[in-house]
Amino acid sequence: MTANILDGIVLGLQFGLLAAGLTLIYGLGGVLNLAHGQIAVTSAMTVAFAIDAGVPVVLAVGLGLLAGGFFGLLLDLTILRPVYRLRGEARVLLSLLLTLGVSFIVDGYLNWRYPLKTLNIYIGGGAIDILGVPMRRGSLVASAITLLTITGLFVFFRSTSLGRAIRSVIEDEAGARLIGIDPKQMLRLILVLSGVLAALVAVTRSMVAPVDTQSGLSITVFALIVTVVGGLGNVIGALLAGIILGIVNVVAADLIGSYISLILLLVAAAVTILIRPAGLLGVKE
Amino acid sequence: MSSRFTGSTGTSLIGGTETRTTRSIPALLIPIILVGAALALVPLWLGDSRVLMGVAVLGLAFFCYVIGFNVIFGSTGQLFLCVGALAGVGGFGATILADNAGWPILLSIIAATLAATLIGGLLSYVAVIRSLGVIFTGIVTLIFSLSFDALLLGLSHLTGGDTGRLIKSGSDTFLRERLPPYYLMLGLALVFLLIHGLLRRSHIGWAFRALRDDEIAAELAGVDVARYRVYGALIGAAMLGLAGSTYALTEGRISPTTFGFGHVDVVVMVMLAFGGIGTLFGPIVGAITFTIVDEILIDFGQLRQVAYGILVIILFLWMPRGVIPSAASLWRRISRQVKA
Amino acid sequence: MLEVNGLSAGYQGNDVVHDVAFRVAQGEAVMIIGSNGAGKTTLFQALCGLLPPSSGEVIFEGSDITGIPAERIARLGMRFVSAARHLFPRMTVEEHLLLGAYPHKPDPKTMSIVLDLFPRLAERRRQHAGTMSGGEQQMLAVGRALMSKPRLLVLDEPSTGLAPLLAKAAYEALDVLREQGLTVLVTEQQVPLAMAFSDRGYVLENGFIRLEGTTEQLAANPAVRSAYLGVT
Repeated sequence: MTANILDGIVLGLQFGLLAAGLTLIYGLGGVLNLAHGQIAVTSAMTVAFAIDAGVPVVLAVGLGLLAGGFFGLLLDLTILRPVYRLRGEARVLLSLLLTLGVSFIVDGYLNWRYPLKTLNIYIGGGAIDILGVPMRRGSLVASAITLLTITGLFVFFRSTSLGRAIRSVIEDEAGARLIGIDPKQMLRLILVLSGVLAALVAVTRSMVAPVDTQSGLSITVFALIVTVVGGLGNVIGALLAGIILGIVNVVAADLIGSYISLILLLVAAAVTILIRPAGLLGVKE
Repeated sequence: MSSRFTGSTGTSLIGGTETRTTRSIPALLIPIILVGAALALVPLWLGDSRVLMGVAVLGLAFFCYVIGFNVIFGSTGQLFLCVGALAGVGGFGATILADNAGWPILLSIIAATLAATLIGGLLSYVAVIRSLGVIFTGIVTLIFSLSFDALLLGLSHLTGGDTGRLIKSGSDTFLRERLPPYYLMLGLALVFLLIHGLLRRSHIGWAFRALRDDEIAAELAGVDVARYRVYGALIGAAMLGLAGSTYALTEGRISPTTFGFGHVDVVVMVMLAFGGIGTLFGPIVGAITFTIVDEILIDFGQLRQVAYGILVIILFLWMPRGVIPSAASLWRRISRQVKA
Repeated sequence: MLEVNGLSAGYQGNDVVHDVAFRVAQGEAVMIIGSNGAGKTTLFQALCGLLPPSSGEVIFEGSDITGIPAERIARLGMRFVSAARHLFPRMTVEEHLLLGAYPHKPDPKTMSIVLDLFPRLAERRRQHAGTMSGGEQQMLAVGRALMSKPRLLVLDEPSTGLAPLLAKAAYEALDVLREQGLTVLVTEQQVPLAMAFSDRGYVLENGFIRLEGTTEQLAANPAVRSAYLGVT
């Protein structure tokens, strides 16, 4: 059981970081990015190709992160332009549909051109004992990087003026504008950041299990579910929901079987939405 | 409701504000009969090829799905991302009842359709009492879709898991011949069109339009938004279940992909968006166009998905009201310029 | 300093304010008074850049700023405190003040001036804005605006939602700021308060500027007296 919980935490941290990017985009810009999973996969493939080309792993990872950020920027500059002209529910709906279209294009293309490509970063060395459970180094390194990133995010949002500025747009867009903060600029930044985060999750995931070109849709679906359960726009909620759902996923899969555990996860998410549409930590409107 | 879908520029994402709904029944029947007659002639031309007839039957199945989705989304504005799943409840339900439980085919179809209807109604009811907006309704129905998919894979002894299963029931009946399934599905489709058309002309249809255009005003005018939303979902889900179960029994084999999200929902949405969300005959245009397009693209493998992605973007960016309304307004603009 | 000519603005094609013109010179305290629905808030929204005007021009310190969005106007030396205040509920007082200076580094001197002016804010440095009372929120909104060292401060109905004593205290704070050289423009429904504070004023009625003059002139005007001062 402890092994399951630890594995669940490893998975959950990644769910959480994945959802954090998505939830930030929603909280800031009222936009739902269903191409999130594809950003992750494309970045992972970039790293894979770089490694194939002989680039040292660390640099290849850096390239992948850049790719993720670039993809996010591209979305902001192209597909999302018409979305910004709308407000409220129309905006969410259009962003959902257009990013869905993008995800089809990317998914279809990747699967057509590079159907067998996978990314698998192998962290060598024996297993390390945590609480009596032998954990693979890959999982530990992945979790450490994820935790470091999460800490970095907190420091950024709490203590830097840019981070505060971004939070202010989430809190009250008009208020932010009145003190000279440009919400569109902040959103662009968040899209780049979320792209980088998606890339990071893909890279760290590849240290635990291979990431291939088919993963895109399931990554997006998991990110969406965790985001909604945690509360749209709430980063802490996303992290919390991620960890909880990660643990539920692993424990249930072990005890009951992977299909039923998936259904359990989905139903748990649905129930949360129905009981508290605002999410675990969402603010009731 | 269109106020919710109207951007700051006033463009609405959902069209179909057809105020020219005449009350006369002939005005409804004649186009339907014409469409029916035209489609009835298709086998004359494709009838020799079993493969092409199969494609035609599938096309008609999609036609039915699109009408069902049109009733749920186009008429009452509920974003049900579980079209395939509801049809699958019909398809797999009828299959299991007929093959495994030994029920008579007709009864199996009826029971499976009923199940789909109830699930659709339940989803709508839940969305309504929890006041879920479009997005959350979409997410909850998507969760149902994904769960159903996982269930199909998990209960592999009943459903055949990944590979699907054959359906023995009906294999010695007219259901498996070359032409009857076509006319059976065509009949269903025409009946669905008729139902949708009659609905639009009835007080229910008036309520649908009212709640879609301005929910708050509709409430004030005494329209029980909750009740009509559930009605819409029940009717639409019934159509989906019936179409799904009938199709399954004529096909003889089903698998999770037959009713999967990527295979059904996405295509149905593109078909409806293309034809015109909320319009009566939009589904025809969409279904015919994309059955043909899909056949053409089938050789391209994964690139097909790329094509659909591009289509979704183009459709929702430039023609959110569907090709027919957009083409119509473009035509009007051109003819006005020519006259001037 | 601020010059507005022929300004019309409204929502969805319907203008609420029509052909409004007024001036604010450096060092002045100017009021725009009017009853509910006169269009004060619409006028404010158009001035601060949250609402694009349908016609007219706005000139600040010689430059035409008509139609410029709010986030750019805020960097020109003019700050706005709206009636809705637009605070950040889950951010602390301290964070608000630090943000007020964005994108520049917050000046510790300015910070202490603001906290001296509003000692209640100093007491509640770590408190979240969403949990503060109306009066405190008002102070915070003003304090936040002051952190950027604006030359002109525009307030929309500063007395909104405040008990009479607090509203008076708010205007007293504005007096202090005036003495320190700040130019102030207020729109106000509670006319006596505005009159006690301002040098000059305009009367806004149904979206039109009907009267203008010094405070004394307006106070003596019989129409103003009966409509806004309750004197028959």
